[in-house]
Amino acid sequence: MSLSFLVPLFLLGIAGIVVPIVVHLTRRQRKNVVAFPSLMFLRKIPFQEQRRRRVQHWFLLALRALALGLLALAFARPFVDDSDSALASSRGPREVVVLLDRSYSMGVGDQFERGLDAARVAFDGLGPLDRASLVLFGQGARVVARSTSDRLRLRGALDTARVGSGTTRFGPALKVAQTILEESELPGGEVLLISDFQRTGWSGDEGVRLPTGTVVTPLNMATALPDNLQLADVSLNRQSAGGRDRVTPSVRVVRQGGSEPVTVPVTLVLDGQEIQSREVTVAPDGVQTVVFQPFTLSRPHTPGSVRLPADRLEADDARHFVLSPGSALGLLIIQGGRAERDASLYLERALGISEEGRFDVSVRRQDLVRDSDLDGTSVVILNDTRLNGASANRLRTFVEGGGGVLLLAGPSASWPASAADVLPGSLGAAGDRTDGRGGRLGFLEYAHPIFEAFSGPRTGDFTGARFFRTRAFTPTDSADVLARFDDGSVALVERRLGRGSVMVWTSTLDSYWNDLALQPVYLPFVHRLTEYSSGRSDQLQWFEAGQVLDLADSRALETAGLISPEAAGLTGGEDAIALTPSGGTFPLPAGDMGPRYLPLDERGFYTVRPPGSDPDRPFVIAVNVDLAESNLTPMEPDELVAQIVGVPGTDGGGPGFTDGTVLRREDQERRQSLWRYLLVAAFLLLAGETLLSNWVSRGRGSGAPGSVGA
Amino acid sequence: MPSYSRARSTASGAQFLDPSVLARIDNLELLARTVVDGFLNGLHRSPYLGFSLDFAEHRPYMPGDDIRRMDWRLFARTDRHYIKLFEAETNSNFAVLLDVSRSMSYGSHEVTKLDYARYLAACLAFFSNRQRDRVGLVTFDHEIVEYVPPSMKHFDTVLHLIARAEAGRPGSLTAPLLQITEHLGRKGILVLISDFYEGPDAVLSAVGLLRARGHDVMVFHVLDPTELEFPFEDASGFEDLETGEQIPVIPGKLRADYTRMVGEHTAELRERFTAQRIDYTLLDTSKPLDLALFQYLTVRERLARKR
Repeated sequence: MSLSFLVPLFLLGIAGIVVPIVVHLTRRQRKNVVAFPSLMFLRKIPFQEQRRRRVQHWFLLALRALALGLLALAFARPFVDDSDSALASSRGPREVVVLLDRSYSMGVGDQFERGLDAARVAFDGLGPLDRASLVLFGQGARVVARSTSDRLRLRGALDTARVGSGTTRFGPALKVAQTILEESELPGGEVLLISDFQRTGWSGDEGVRLPTGTVVTPLNMATALPDNLQLADVSLNRQSAGGRDRVTPSVRVVRQGGSEPVTVPVTLVLDGQEIQSREVTVAPDGVQTVVFQPFTLSRPHTPGSVRLPADRLEADDARHFVLSPGSALGLLIIQGGRAERDASLYLERALGISEEGRFDVSVRRQDLVRDSDLDGTSVVILNDTRLNGASANRLRTFVEGGGGVLLLAGPSASWPASAADVLPGSLGAAGDRTDGRGGRLGFLEYAHPIFEAFSGPRTGDFTGARFFRTRAFTPTDSADVLARFDDGSVALVERRLGRGSVMVWTSTLDSYWNDLALQPVYLPFVHRLTEYSSGRSDQLQWFEAGQVLDLADSRALETAGLISPEAAGLTGGEDAIALTPSGGTFPLPAGDMGPRYLPLDERGFYTVRPPGSDPDRPFVIAVNVDLAESNLTPMEPDELVAQIVGVPGTDGGGPGFTDGTVLRREDQERRQSLWRYLLVAAFLLLAGETLLSNWVSRGRGSGAPGSVGA
Repeated sequence: MPSYSRARSTASGAQFLDPSVLARIDNLELLARTVVDGFLNGLHRSPYLGFSLDFAEHRPYMPGDDIRRMDWRLFARTDRHYIKLFEAETNSNFAVLLDVSRSMSYGSHEVTKLDYARYLAACLAFFSNRQRDRVGLVTFDHEIVEYVPPSMKHFDTVLHLIARAEAGRPGSLTAPLLQITEHLGRKGILVLISDFYEGPDAVLSAVGLLRARGHDVMVFHVLDPTELEFPFEDASGFEDLETGEQIPVIPGKLRADYTRMVGEHTAELRERFTAQRIDYTLLDTSKPLDLALFQYLTVRERLARKR
């Protein structure tokens, strides 16, 4: 046991004791200098220098010196160093958490294998009372073995570890480690972080703070990757010709690093068969775009891939997708019986302009809606229609089943009172705004999917359209007003009903009441309005690794590209299984009405089908890796460690890496807190000195200067 | 000699004699006009006229007028009181010799010795200008700093230079006064304003040169109250404004000796100046200017009689 100091540098402050003494004894009297016109009459009297140089109150001087010394000692943070007990503590049981990065960038070379070896060595170095956990992490963190001293189990867990397809995120893994260490009762906490330490994996604001005393040891497995080719930005342009879809794939080949141009083949694979291959020459750090010949898409759930020859980072050398022939959106425009013949001319023309043939438009001139009209229809547009109660009830059923109704409130439009609850409000009289320059759209809900595409600059200007007549509309509480005119009146309002929606546009969509149809924004607006009303969502051609798909959600399935449940054999609430890209199976029991989550952790194709069946065109989901992980820009491991523990751990060294001396010294000092006592003693001395010196000063009276204190 | 004690009343203009009030007036001419007019209003007697025998005009008698100037003949004819007015002197040379040595910049309150001297010089110059004297100015420290020969046209220049005067360098009397003696050929009235931080022998020998050339010399010894009373308490280092020399001083022990030595110094100066027929006035910068103005008027009246 010996007296030690946590910050011995502050002991230099003791030397400060001599400073006031030296200054006092050596300085000349410089303060209180009085400027005087002439010293002619002033006798030159010596300023009692001898008296100044003699210390008069040794006791006061000692008090002051002692107080200063105690202050310096307090700031030096003294403690009694019990090194023997500290050593014993270092040999005590430890809680070791091994965090092993399994993001796909760890697949470069033998990084992952070396990481496994480091983890094995760490587990082999565990003491008999030590416990360890193994956490594999990528985007998320998975505890493979939790707080166990069973080395066989730990090694077995290591043997099952494989490189994944996810990206590196240190935050979740460190959070898990924090939880394990906080729950542990063992005195020593250690974290072994094995990764290639990419900059993209750590933003600094993850909010991880490991328990005090935790020793974090980063093991950097990164190896240099001087040349890497990857595929990026796959584009699948579709055109509808003769009722069939023609798809033109294109892809960008990106090269990072390299020294000489290389020529590589880029292959297009469809349904497991290579159908095209193009050679492309890519310069160092260059980019080339490859456009394949178009192919005809005829079968649903068609898997496809674009591939490069495998290099050291294999995961970004292929991009997968799933395509299905598109189906046109059935639109029924019901035009009022008394309306003009070309009342829907603008609408028909706008919906007819679509390269992919997305809309199948039919027009009826009547005021009735029959059941047969709604077959194969996704959206019904009531263009200035005067409906009766029966028709309105049919539309109610249609909307509740997932259809969409768009009511264009022209001069003749009306809605039966018997079905008033279907509408998002009540229609009023027509208002005239022909004075001046007409009304304009003053408010648009840009957060809504209809207007979201127009929220950016130069993406569509609605302010140019002038509205000369509109119908008054009083929305109900449950209605969402999506657009208003500049006088505050409602322009577009929506109400969800069942699985569908009812929307009301309080003017016409032709040139009769406004000139919106003459504006450039008219066509995209009508397209967005119709598509949204139909409830159809854009299909994803691939997912990114790490996403989760709920197979119980029909809308999610539609988004995922499920076109034909019958062909995929996924009808009814039956059990299903998912075949993973690596060949494994993932059961998807039917269960009750709850979600059926399928985690998409691997890159490649997931096939979902009923167990024991072999459907003609099974539901296939393509999964690609996140290309952010291909950015191998490294970060400094100590920087990360410093942010999560405050004091950096030691660098490397495997399981014998324990070096908690600094922290133990801190702990000892914190427990003893001798500085508090020293500080109190110093303040007491200073207070006593103040009282004493005041008393001495009063006793001395108005004596000559220079005799104060010392 | 008129009795001025009667005239030193609390007239409305008297407040403008207070140096602390004057310190707020930037324009020196305005200051001089204010002081002189206020001072003369308090006198209750005719200000400028009367020192000559050249008749000017009659004026109705006003209470306060000197009854010796009343025209009894006219009273006998008209049964009304008139007094006779005479033209004033116009031919005197008047010059202010203003010490602007560094020690004059001292002031324990808001008015420094130089400020006080500046006010006094301006008032006297204004007075003389009203009297139609030729007004000149010499500022000096250890040599002549500015010199304006006496002239009827130089009044504005004199006021301007007085206002611009700054104390900056060490001073002495002998060399500059010798030079002045050579410059001022024509006899006149010289007003010397200084703090006289030299031995009486040196002062008298320097000022005596002027007197010896036939000038009528008035000396105003300007001192700050702290120079007279030495009221300091704390032991301090005292620094000579002119030499920068610094000595430690315990004022309490020195005060008695200091005041005694200053008293002896001023007494000896007064005695020896008087012996040489030089009018000596000790001025305290905390006191109003009227003492100096009275002194000036006394001298002028005496000179007028003499002539």
